[in-house]
Order: sequence, then C-alpha cells, then structure tokens
Amino acid sequence: MTFEKIINLSLIYATLRSATPIIYASLCAAITQQADILNIGTEGIMLTGAFTAVTVSYLTGSWLLAVIVAMLAGLVMASVIAVGHLKYGAEITAIGIGINMFALAFTKYMLNSLLGKTGSFTDPKIIGIPKVHLAFLDNSPALNELFNNWAVTEWFAFILVGILTFVLFKTVWGLRLRAVGKFPMAAQTAGINVTAMRYQALAISGLVGGLAGAHLSLGYSKMFTENMTNGRGFMGVAAMFFGGAHPVLTAIGCLVFGFADSIGARLQAYGVPSQFVLLMPYVVTVAVLAISMATKQSREARKKSALITTAPSTLTEKRG
Amino acid sequence: MMKRMMSILLMLMLVFSLTACSGGSEPAASTNEGGSDAPAKTRVAIVFSGNLGDKSYNDSCYAGALKAQEEFDIELKTLEGTEAAEWEANFLAVAEEGYDLIICSSSNFEEYMKEHCANYPDTKFAVIDTTVEGDNIVSVSFAQNQGSFLAGAAAALFTKMSDIEGVNDENIIGWVGGMDIPVLHDFYTGYEQGAKYVDPDITILQSFAGTWNDPLKGKELTLAQYQQGADVVMNVASGTGTGILEAATEAGKYAIGVDLNQDGDQPGHVLTSMLKRVDSACYLLIQSVVEGTFEGGSKQYLTIADNGVSLTDMSVMKEALGDQFPDEILTKIQELQDKIVSGEIVVENYEGFGPNN
Repeated sequence: MTFEKIINLSLIYATLRSATPIIYASLCAAITQQADILNIGTEGIMLTGAFTAVTVSYLTGSWLLAVIVAMLAGLVMASVIAVGHLKYGAEITAIGIGINMFALAFTKYMLNSLLGKTGSFTDPKIIGIPKVHLAFLDNSPALNELFNNWAVTEWFAFILVGILTFVLFKTVWGLRLRAVGKFPMAAQTAGINVTAMRYQALAISGLVGGLAGAHLSLGYSKMFTENMTNGRGFMGVAAMFFGGAHPVLTAIGCLVFGFADSIGARLQAYGVPSQFVLLMPYVVTVAVLAISMATKQSREARKKSALITTAPSTLTEKRG
Repeated sequence: MMKRMMSILLMLMLVFSLTACSGGSEPAASTNEGGSDAPAKTRVAIVFSGNLGDKSYNDSCYAGALKAQEEFDIELKTLEGTEAAEWEANFLAVAEEGYDLIICSSSNFEEYMKEHCANYPDTKFAVIDTTVEGDNIVSVSFAQNQGSFLAGAAAALFTKMSDIEGVNDENIIGWVGGMDIPVLHDFYTGYEQGAKYVDPDITILQSFAGTWNDPLKGKELTLAQYQQGADVVMNVASGTGTGILEAATEAGKYAIGVDLNQDGDQPGHVLTSMLKRVDSACYLLIQSVVEGTFEGGSKQYLTIADNGVSLTDMSVMKEALGDQFPDEILTKIQELQDKIVSGEIVVENYEGFGPNN
C-alpha cells in the first residue's frame, strides 16, 4: 500500500512536470554548446523571462503575449552575452555569471519599483498558460491521469526537442552550426560566416531561455518569486553536458533529474529523512556528469586509437 | 582603448550594484554624529534569514518593526539574505555598525550569535524563535506547538468532512516545512499531537523543502502529498509556502497558512492560518530598548494564553463554503484552546523547546 503510494502513474506526470523547466533550460544551453559557447547565463536569461512573463500577463491579461515578450526579453539578455563575448571578446563564463547576477538584482529591483512588491508576486490577474484538456481521454482513468491537463508549454517542450534535433542534424544551417562548434577555422575556410552563426545560436538560445522562464512562472506556477529559478538553469547546463548537447539525450538527462526530484517528494512523506532526500538531486547530478564524462572519454580514446591505426599511414604517404 | 573603457565601465557598474545591495546605511550613520544636541534616535537593525515579501514569518516581523518605527521614531535597517554565507556577513555588518538593537529574526542566526555577541558588549541583541545565552541577548520564543496543536486538530476534523468538494474519504493529512531546523519540529510535534488527539488512527505525511524561498519546490512536495491521499496540508515554510498554498488551489484541495493570516491568499482553499505573533515580539523588543527596559540575558515564552499563537476565525473559508462550512470545527477548536489554556491538555514540545528552555 505504501509502495503504491510512492510508485504510481502520477509519478510519471510529476517527473515530466518537474523536468520541463529544466528541459527548456538545457535546450537553451545545448543550442549554443553546438556552436562551442558555454551558456552559463541560462539561469539569468530564464529568470528575466520569468519576471517579464508574469508582469506582461498581469498588465495585459494575455498569456500568449506574455510568453512572446518573455522570449524577447530572453533575446535581449542573450544579445548582451553575444555582443560582450563575440564582439568584445569577453570571457564567456565571466559574462555569463555577470548576466546571472544582473538578472537577479534587476528582477528584484523591478519587482519593487514596477509592481511595488518585495519577495514574491501573486495576483488573481496573472493569467497562466492554459492546460490542455483532451475530452476523449476522460473515459480511461490511466490515460487521463497520464496525459490530461498538461500545460501547453509542457507539450511544446517535447515538440521543441524534436524541432531542435531536426534543425541541428537534418538541415544545412544545423550542419554549419555544428561545423562552427567543432572546428571554426575549417568552417570559415569553407565559407561559413562563423561569427554570424554564433550570433544566431545565442539569439535562438535567448528565445528558448525566455520561454523557459515563462513556463516557470506562468505554466508551472502562477507567480514570480525572487530567484525563482533556484539553480534550475545550472541543472539545465549539467543536463546539456550529460546529453553531449544532443537535444534528445539532453532531455533524457532532465527527466532523470525530474525523476529524482519527484520520487524524493514522495519518499519524504513516508519517513525517509529529508536530508537524504534533498541530497538526491545533487548526488544524481554528480553521478550523471561522472558517467557522461567517463563514456565521453572512452569514446574519444576509441576515436584516437582508430586514427592511429588508419590515419597515420595515409598521412605519411601524403607527406612522402 | 575601447576595451579599457569597457572594463572601467563594468567595474563602475559592479561597485554601484554592490553599494545598491547594501542599501546605503552610511548616510544614516553620519547624521547621528553631526548634531550633538539633537536626541539620538534609537538605531535598530533586523537581519532576516530569507527575503521580505514571504507573506509569512519575515513580513510579520517587519510589520512589527514598522509599527514601532511609526510610534517611536527609530532608525530602522533591514538586511535580507537567502544563504548561510549572507546571514553571517549581514549579521557581522550590522554588529560592526554599532546599532543599539540588533534583532536576529530566526534560529538560523544562533551559531553566529554564540560566536560574536560577546565581542559587542555595547550592542543589544535579540533573537526570535530560539534561546541564546548572553548578557546582552534577549531571546523570544513561541509556543508554536500549541498553535500547531489546534491546526492539527482542525486538519484532522476537516479531512473527515468528505461531503465537501476536494475532501476524500482517506484519513490522511499533510505537513510541509521549509528548512529542517529544530523549531519546525516543535511545530510538527504539536501538529501531530493535535491531529491524533482528534483521531488516533490518522496518517500524517511530512516533508521538508530544504529552503525558505523555493515556492516551486513547495508546490511539488504539496502536490505529491495530495496525490498520496492528503486533502489538507499545513504550510510552515516562509517563502516556499506561497507554492504550497498555490498547490491547494490548483489541485482543488486545502492548505493551512502560517505566521500571518494567509486565509485570503488563495481564498476558499486555505482552511485557517496559525498565527504566530512575531510582529508583536518584534514591536515589544524595540519598545523595551526605547523605554530602557531591555533586560539582557532574559527570555520570553509567548503561549496561546498570552495570545502569542492562535488560529484565525476561518471567516474566509466560511464565506467560500457557505452552508457547507462545518461550524462544529470552530466550537471544537475553541474547546481545545480553552483546555490548553487551563492546562487540561498539555501540548508536548520538541527537545530543547518549551517554557523551561
């Protein structure tokens, strides 16, 4: 009976629900990683998006407009990173952390000066992202539990994973972006405008990051709180490393985090010490990163040995 | 050249943002030195382990300070911090500034006070929610176990009303806390005893978010408890609690507020709130310093009889439920409250709490 209360159908939706904000964040980081830019600023972009979304929704009553403006706000933040890093050569980690600190302070300031609140903001006038209710699922309790009443953005997260996978691996633009990430000089020699590609990657990243924030404050909840991202952007970056910046693998990494979180929430209620449960997401993060790094290293080692057996002979022939 | 300009600009921004964060205490400090004939204002600083705007513990404390500021014309300074590193830094910063009274809002400051208070003998310190020994320290604690007893009893009574929408026929209630610190266990001890007083067979689900300011985490924990059969969940989580109350509305279930009256935050889904009068504690502390009655080394314990803790009158819930509202809950709660005041019911304390600690 206790076991059923911990592992059941609703755990699946709970996993998806807590993974979705991280999925958006990880996609925000993955798209720039493909162009070899480590977007530490994900957290700040997301926080800005979350604040903008709540504010616009409160002022206009339109969730769609709120999401769009939040994405634009994310774009603005990403542009700051882009200009700083690509034009003025600022260290990407430094500017990323700068953006995070700025977003934290700026949203706090705006919350106070624009909305006249401190700490958090909730109001009945905030219109959340609607939930999709599929009437034909009502007849089946299991499917109803699993798929009904997802927020629009929760469905869209999975669509976005598909879109990004397609764009990155099946289009010319994606090929060029990955070429820029792998070997910028070769890409440049092949006639690709490396800087332009990087600007584009950061711009898309900003849009996705803004959407991540909008989902957090309007889809996952209907409020804004100071620092409401609470490390979710960084978890997204970790998941991106886990998935090697491949959207699908990255999303799977996020689901692992979401699962750790939701099962923890259920275990705690049945007497498992909270300290242990609260430790789990971090243990999972370390474990996931360690495993992904280990596999990456062994893969690279194999690649190298493959080069040694085949490549040197051709190389020496050419030289000779 | 351009780069140098940029770096100077960035540096300036950084310096500016740092001073902006610390909130400009300098001008205030210098005004007192100027006019020696003008009576010096009492200078009070409050350090919070969390943010203002939690609509709970911290806001309650701040409300008391604002009331005192209005009445006694004091100089008031508040510092918020979300992480342990910030708490110690904030605490030391105001201690160095030489305030007349420094109020540490929560037991999170206990260790720093033990370590540093003796180094500032001319400063008066006060701590709420825990007891710290020291000649210049006043400790104020609450009988939160007594208030929680009533909250637990209310939850246990309410979970039986399965004709009310959203209340299931399972005998399960929930409890979600912020950080896993002793004072929250004192809350829980009372909550459990109160619920079991009404129904010895009740199941209580307990979770900690591990943070005072992640409402999304609070929401997820609460939804998990609702899913596991709970229909009333008590919030003891400061800023994290916003999410607990939101979960109640979203799941069509019920929650119990804490510290301040949170009944109206999610109308119709907050059964009642356990009021903990941190505001009056804060006010009285400031008053004692202004009037010179501050007695270092003393401690106060505010119980249900002193009006230090209580439940709200459930009027918001009554309006939402209309005729369905079970009036017998109110009479039962009043009866239990009288029994606690008279000593007929003795509410247990968590280790280290209670009038003798």
